[in-house]
Amino acid sequence: MSVAGLSPNFKVAFDANSQVFSLAGVIRPRSVDEIADSIAMLRQAIDDVRGVLYVDVKRLIQMNNTAFHAFVRVALDACRARADLRMVIVTSSVVGWTTRMFGHLNQIEPQITVEVYDSTFYPGQSFVEDTSFIPILRTQTKMTWRHERSILPRHGLRPGIAMADVCCGIGDFAVLVQKEFQPARIVALDHSKASLAYAREVATNFGITDIEYTYGDASEMLLEDNQFDFVSCRHSLQIFNERELLLKELYRICKPGGRVYITNEKNSHCLGEPRAQSIQWTYNEVAKLFSHFDMDVELGPKSRRYLADAGFDDILVESFMVTNLDGDPQDFADVITAWENVYAGEMAVRRGDTPEFIERFRQGFRDHIFAALHPKGYAGWPIWVASGRKPT
Amino acid sequence: MDVGNSVPAEAAFEPLLQFEMEMGTFLSEWQHCDHVSTYLARMISHNRTDPVRHSNFFSSALNELLEVSFRGGTSSGQIGLSIYRHGPIERVQITFPCPAEQVPFYREAVQKIDRSDAHARYLDSISTDMAPSRESVLLDLAINFDASIRIEESTSPAVTLIVDLPLEGLVS
Repeated sequence: MSVAGLSPNFKVAFDANSQVFSLAGVIRPRSVDEIADSIAMLRQAIDDVRGVLYVDVKRLIQMNNTAFHAFVRVALDACRARADLRMVIVTSSVVGWTTRMFGHLNQIEPQITVEVYDSTFYPGQSFVEDTSFIPILRTQTKMTWRHERSILPRHGLRPGIAMADVCCGIGDFAVLVQKEFQPARIVALDHSKASLAYAREVATNFGITDIEYTYGDASEMLLEDNQFDFVSCRHSLQIFNERELLLKELYRICKPGGRVYITNEKNSHCLGEPRAQSIQWTYNEVAKLFSHFDMDVELGPKSRRYLADAGFDDILVESFMVTNLDGDPQDFADVITAWENVYAGEMAVRRGDTPEFIERFRQGFRDHIFAALHPKGYAGWPIWVASGRKPT
Repeated sequence: MDVGNSVPAEAAFEPLLQFEMEMGTFLSEWQHCDHVSTYLARMISHNRTDPVRHSNFFSSALNELLEVSFRGGTSSGQIGLSIYRHGPIERVQITFPCPAEQVPFYREAVQKIDRSDAHARYLDSISTDMAPSRESVLLDLAINFDASIRIEESTSPAVTLIVDLPLEGLVS
């Protein structure tokens, strides 16, 4: 792969193996001469490829007309000269103007097509974006917040800071943080428009107007470098298949000296008494089921390694157990019921599991609920919290 | 004198921000276009539904207007920029000194936006121009940003472009 950087905010690269030419960042040259190297790289890429050249502009944050005309002219000339060449320009649904600008090219040259990268960004997205899941997400946050509100200050959350909550879901964590810690700024980002619409409605109902909810791809955020003192990303690394990419983005937007805070589970460690064996069997199977869909719900204790590999220092790790004794045991039971419905009712079915397996799988959830509601029972859901400091 | 395209009846546009700079200073550094558009976009977008994406979209449009001013402006006098809001629309009013003989070209470029062949001319511009003309930049704003554009002229050698950008609807 060859890479050229014109300015700190602009990157151009060509990956010959996958035939992807990518433009990223901000490119606003005064004249074409300033981007001559990048134009030459595109020409070389066109010469090198056979069949389809992918032009990836998903991370292109700004491009002025000078640059647009220059790159497009090369692409159009190449298509006119080579009947065998096809170009696929991949834009992002997040950056609205790219799809509009590049979208015209197919009308000029049919060999160029434009694809909007708007499919699922992570494997489990379709499972958790169902709006029927929203009440359970709220209950989950209520249950974890009892613990996290005292944990967060140890990881750097304090009044007056700038904070981003990446993969904010329905935005309830951001609301709780805003009320409890009064950061100067909160940006809450998610790729579910339905979840964000819900988040905005909840914030409005609570009279909260200073949370900036934004639609975006966590692995390719529009947010600028080194902006936030505190970046949270809760329960998301574990359901993201490109974890290093996500961590790289969290690192990028965090200020030097700021901290990135992640929470994740180790589902096989969910527990309960009585009926411990059945519960344990089911949650071991939960871990395997998620693994089948390229998600790692065993990630919690691996957080330290992930943060270290991403370049963070001063890494702090701790864990807490959400239990049926924290508040209303029915809340705990409701969450497990929702898990049963999604994991056994949808994911196992999609994996093609037999009715016999699914029935045994369901039984463990029911036993977990039994333990939670039993007058002498105990049911737990462990969470790992980790944060790392971006070196100064 | 006003020349323009599909500008709605004057509505109650609320002022958001005013920016002035000596033209000589503005022209001393090309990066001023990028810096000013990025900074102002962030300021006026903070209370939009999706501030980050609105700011990105708005900065893109504003930068093009600043680049038009940079390329066509003269160093005497000031560049003035006012941003107003009415509902989902931001209005950008940008005034910059330019040679008197250039004014008709701006007038003509704005007039052409209204023509039925605007889209075809925009595609032709992308297809054939190595560098964008001021006309193709204004067409870009009209076609890709759904902008309404008009021009105001004064006795002094200056041009005022008034650009209505309904970006809140596009972003959300």
